[in-house]
Amino acid sequence: MSGGGRFRYLFSPLKLGSVAVANRIVFSAHLTNYATQDGMPSEQHAAYYEARAAGGAGLIITEEHSVHPTDWPYEKMIHGFNPGVLAGYRTITEAVHRHGVPILAQINHNGGQASSMYSRLPVWAPSPVPDPMFREVPKAVEQREIDEIIESYAVVAARCIDGGFDGVELQCSHSSIVRGFLSPATNRRSDSYGGSLDNRSRLLHQIVAAVRDRIGPGPVLGVRLCGDELIEDGTTIDDAVAVAIQIEANGGVDYINTSIGVATASLFMIEASMHIPPEYAMFIPSAIRQAIDLPVVGVGRFKDPIQAERALEQGHADLIGVVRGQIADPDFALKARAGRADETRLCLSCNQECVGRMGLNRWLGCIENPYAGREAELGPSPTSHRPVTLGRSAEPRPPARRLLVVGGGPGGLQAAVTAAANGLDVTLHEATEHLGGQARLAASVPSRAEFGDLVRNLSAECRRLGVDVNLNSPVDTGTIGSAQVDAVIVATGGLPNRPWWAPPSSEGGDRIADVIDVLAGRVHPEGSVVVIDDVGFHQATSVAELLADRHCQVEIVTKAMVVGQDLGITLDMETWWVRASAKGIVQSTDLVPMGYGDRGLTLLHHPTGNEQTRTPDWVVLATPPRPNAELYFAILAAYPDHLVRRIGDCLAPRRAHAAIIEGRRVGDALTTELYSMTPSAARS
Amino acid sequence: MTTSPLLEPLIVGHRRMTNRVLFGPIETNLATGRALSKRHTAFYEARAAGGAGAVVVEQASVHPIDHPYERCPLAAEAGPGWAAIAEACGPHGSLVLAGLSHSGGQSTSAFSQRELWAPSDEPDVDTGEVPKVMEVADIVAVIDGFAGAAARASQSGMHGVEVNAGQHSLLRQFLSGLTNRRDDAYGQDNALLVRQVLAACRSAIGPTDVLGLRLSCDELAPWAGITPDRAIELAVSLAPMIDYLIVVRGSIFSAAKTRPTAIDPPGFNLALTKLIRDAVDGSVPVFAQGSVVDVDQAASAIEAGDCDGVEMTRALLAAPNLVTTVRKGGRPRPCLLCNQGCQVRDNRNPIISCNVEPSTGREPQQTAADRIEAMSNQLLIVGAGPAGLEAARVAATNGWVVEVRERSDGPGGMAAVAASAPAQRRIADLISWLENEAKTVGVTLRYGDEVSSTDAAEFDGTVIIATGSLTAPPTFDRGNDASIATPVDVFTAQRGGDEPFMGLEHGDSVVVWDPIGGPTGVAVTEFIAAEHSNVAILTPDAIVGTMLSLTGDLSGANVRLQQADIPILRRQRLTHVDANSVRTVHSFTGETAEHPCSLLVDASARYPNDALWHETGQRFERIGDAVAPRTIGDAIREGRAAAIALGQPIPAGQPTA
Repeated sequence: MSGGGRFRYLFSPLKLGSVAVANRIVFSAHLTNYATQDGMPSEQHAAYYEARAAGGAGLIITEEHSVHPTDWPYEKMIHGFNPGVLAGYRTITEAVHRHGVPILAQINHNGGQASSMYSRLPVWAPSPVPDPMFREVPKAVEQREIDEIIESYAVVAARCIDGGFDGVELQCSHSSIVRGFLSPATNRRSDSYGGSLDNRSRLLHQIVAAVRDRIGPGPVLGVRLCGDELIEDGTTIDDAVAVAIQIEANGGVDYINTSIGVATASLFMIEASMHIPPEYAMFIPSAIRQAIDLPVVGVGRFKDPIQAERALEQGHADLIGVVRGQIADPDFALKARAGRADETRLCLSCNQECVGRMGLNRWLGCIENPYAGREAELGPSPTSHRPVTLGRSAEPRPPARRLLVVGGGPGGLQAAVTAAANGLDVTLHEATEHLGGQARLAASVPSRAEFGDLVRNLSAECRRLGVDVNLNSPVDTGTIGSAQVDAVIVATGGLPNRPWWAPPSSEGGDRIADVIDVLAGRVHPEGSVVVIDDVGFHQATSVAELLADRHCQVEIVTKAMVVGQDLGITLDMETWWVRASAKGIVQSTDLVPMGYGDRGLTLLHHPTGNEQTRTPDWVVLATPPRPNAELYFAILAAYPDHLVRRIGDCLAPRRAHAAIIEGRRVGDALTTELYSMTPSAARS
Repeated sequence: MTTSPLLEPLIVGHRRMTNRVLFGPIETNLATGRALSKRHTAFYEARAAGGAGAVVVEQASVHPIDHPYERCPLAAEAGPGWAAIAEACGPHGSLVLAGLSHSGGQSTSAFSQRELWAPSDEPDVDTGEVPKVMEVADIVAVIDGFAGAAARASQSGMHGVEVNAGQHSLLRQFLSGLTNRRDDAYGQDNALLVRQVLAACRSAIGPTDVLGLRLSCDELAPWAGITPDRAIELAVSLAPMIDYLIVVRGSIFSAAKTRPTAIDPPGFNLALTKLIRDAVDGSVPVFAQGSVVDVDQAASAIEAGDCDGVEMTRALLAAPNLVTTVRKGGRPRPCLLCNQGCQVRDNRNPIISCNVEPSTGREPQQTAADRIEAMSNQLLIVGAGPAGLEAARVAATNGWVVEVRERSDGPGGMAAVAASAPAQRRIADLISWLENEAKTVGVTLRYGDEVSSTDAAEFDGTVIIATGSLTAPPTFDRGNDASIATPVDVFTAQRGGDEPFMGLEHGDSVVVWDPIGGPTGVAVTEFIAAEHSNVAILTPDAIVGTMLSLTGDLSGANVRLQQADIPILRRQRLTHVDANSVRTVHSFTGETAEHPCSLLVDASARYPNDALWHETGQRFERIGDAVAPRTIGDAIREGRAAAIALGQPIPAGQPTA
């Protein structure tokens, strides 16, 4: 045991082959879209991995590097097959090694789980079976192409070692040509690579042998296996255990990493959102670890160190992959080790800005860490790597500048945190008795409770930084006049906005309510309810579930082609459908509300022009709010010389990440204006 | 040398276009970051060299927080690129203009990480993002942005600028009641911002450089949008400020209607354009846009006075040399209006390409082949689909003596079958063009002539295998008496005779199983519906035809299917087919269902027909669907690449030059 207090397993060292790992926390492989347009590793890669190394991760495994030009499934993939990556490799590995943390490169060929759009070459796979997502017919590889793949793995592995990596991991798990061969669902070959498990695993063992031969005995070699593809005719745990046993018997491999699902078929189980129970994939490392002696990595929604410690203690795994937890808080390990785990900015498993941006070909970010994805530009979070309990900077910087933040939603809280960390004297006024604004209400639905960590994390950070938080404290222009502040940030959020077709309560619309009113308990719809989904995210589906749980008959109506269309982006669509089906929630699409009156709710089926009516007891609106900007404009008018900014929904109603990003940006910008120096200079 | 109204010069402001063809500001994703790249220069130079009268460069955002797609050029970074493009295109005689835009509420905050700016807080139809209602300072910043960008373009050697008030534009959002609900001066006079922007641009570029305006003259939303009547007022009032006007259509509810697929007829905007042209009465040249891709249509539109010039962007993607080809009396390579390569406003940032012209977006075109010493200059190509024909055409051009042998009675292979679908008829033009060009360069074409493995093995020369595809084995269980057909069976079935279509009787139900969601499943369903009343489409997805989002026909296809009362069975996977029913399982919940079905049409992907390739020892080059069944674009690209790779044959013994 080497420190770590209550985490005796988590902070015990381990050797993977000849490489020492200081603790059991792995920042395992995940896409970032940080590569350049032409497939080169970037400065952002280095800054991103370095921040997690500095934050105490035991082992870092990079995102996949393509081993062959036929494998270019998404635009910003690292082209390991291009010798030009070497300089970028060295930048990354030097940055991480500066903190004494080992780093492995994951190398891969995605096989048929790919597009030919970038490469303009046919995609390669064991058989001409189209992938369920990309839906392109692949070229069934011939022996000479198989030989080429094996050689390309060896070449790229050697390049990785040359670039300073401590070893490589072969992704054979959820999106890989090796998976394609292993899985009966995609391997229909009749030659020596198809049929029996020995045949299907042949390519894997040939690649392992070639790579080990090429990199020599020193570097780490890991293999990541899928324990259950969760698809028809796919690989299941018995096959995975059998392959792991073969791997151990053949030798040359130092550890086994695990995963669940197929990236292009059952991704919602790979990058599970808060709707999937934590540790849902534990059976996989657990079963493999019982069968072999090699160290085994377990993954799957490990959010906090206590949970990881327990999994190690119970013997389910030797190492724990914590990806989103370390995206949200690069100091995840450091804080646990220092006995400050309660200060961890816990991941919400909301998938909004990490997973949600990956599928859209955007750089990886984080809903609650506005520095994630911008480390190279902004540096790590200003609250990183320093005793955050100290609060504001110890440096005297007279005279202290005073900032007033109006509104304690995510935007206001983040602005307060940023400004306070920059050394400003910050007072925050929240009109209600709770911090969190709409985020708090969003988390009040049982299956969305983890979203509430957003508020908890920010509130705690405000406390640690000494922000003067005042609840039940509405602000008017008079408050501003008497407050003696140098600047004001207005973060007063949005207000429910009744659409044109919905009469106000006083004119027959008393059975129409906004989602916010229902969640806040101001109204209690009963009987039959139509929920209007005009936002396409969790608002409508959350309230529908809540009301169905209260025995209402619920129908969601949307003008879009699907209800909650953006749930697909966060991988919540599948589980939503399962729950909606179980709760009897009806989903009706392509319908535009046109009026509400004596005849009930009139709907236009826009593709056909047909009219429909509903006569529900209640109508609940999940429609865009309007900015609550009256105070902002009143302050501007009353105090034209004041430094006043507005952020978040008060500027334009959007999702929580926008408020957080704006809070960070405006918090820094105001500091700069107030001190006429850069925030980074102010922080140093 | 041919004469055509298309080839007449046109005076635009103080400049002259050598002909009436304009290449419009299409999105390309060729940028490096937000700067115009060398690839841009090569892309535009190819069109200028091909004779385009005017080339409008991809629209650049005039303000940094407007970042509508990742590779959208930014005017502040566009100077060097504009200069390079002007230098490359100028010598060819084209007018070169800079497209300028601000996307307003139709942008995204994903890249800028900033709020969107719009006249009012109407959420965008596609993204649902609620914009910031612009304050006066924001409006001033946008006007300044246009002025600064125009000045930069002018200083960089552009001949002028084109301001976007068409699709994806803040200016149109101000002009429209759909998006402008302001009660200040910019709401009371919703053209105020456009006039201020045009005035600012004019003062930035001076009197002699060209100032063009792209204007949505029909937002296809008459309840609040710009109507043709309103567009006439706008055009008449703005004409004195500009040097040309391009008439486009479309708005927030119709993003795909501005540059649609062949579902909309070519030249769909010509009547609208004529209305506007008549109204401005010669005070400013008016250009027609909107699927104008056929030379004959373009010429007669000019002759008939519908317009003064034509934007033929997609035609120039398919045939960069369109103008020079017409001038020589030739036939340009036809555009399919398929949008499969050129619709690149797509999160994946595809580089602009063309389904029929592989060099588009990858200029310059590779044609010169290395000279090689060959024992024989004879080339046998097995299969006359797009891959085989393109390979034959290019190889013959490079000096090969080419024979194409095709098993069936005519050219085109699967593409000819696909051309049966009404929306895909233009594929027939491509096949006829390929066949005709191949014949022109001396290719011998033999139909109804199957090549055996012995024929191929014993051929004295080089062989390329382009044998296409086969029906794949089914992925579901089938009862012995199940009736199953393929889209090929449907498209080639006899119609209009005494026999019932596909042997179907009244009341028989047809189910189309579409696990791909591309053009085929929807097209075959519509094809059946035209002949037989009872057809449903079965998809594993939440939306039918999901892949059609890439061509802009997603909502269109869904509307057409619903208007035709065709049941859409969503989120269901086919598990079993019997004589009278199909069984399905819900993609998410696992619930099973049974649907009546007398005939199942399986629109699954196909298998390669690679028997000949295997029988001949895998030694010959294989192209197109015979490698893996894919698109016409893949087939043509591989056909051309294979031919170029063969080089130019020199009989053995002659010196290599």
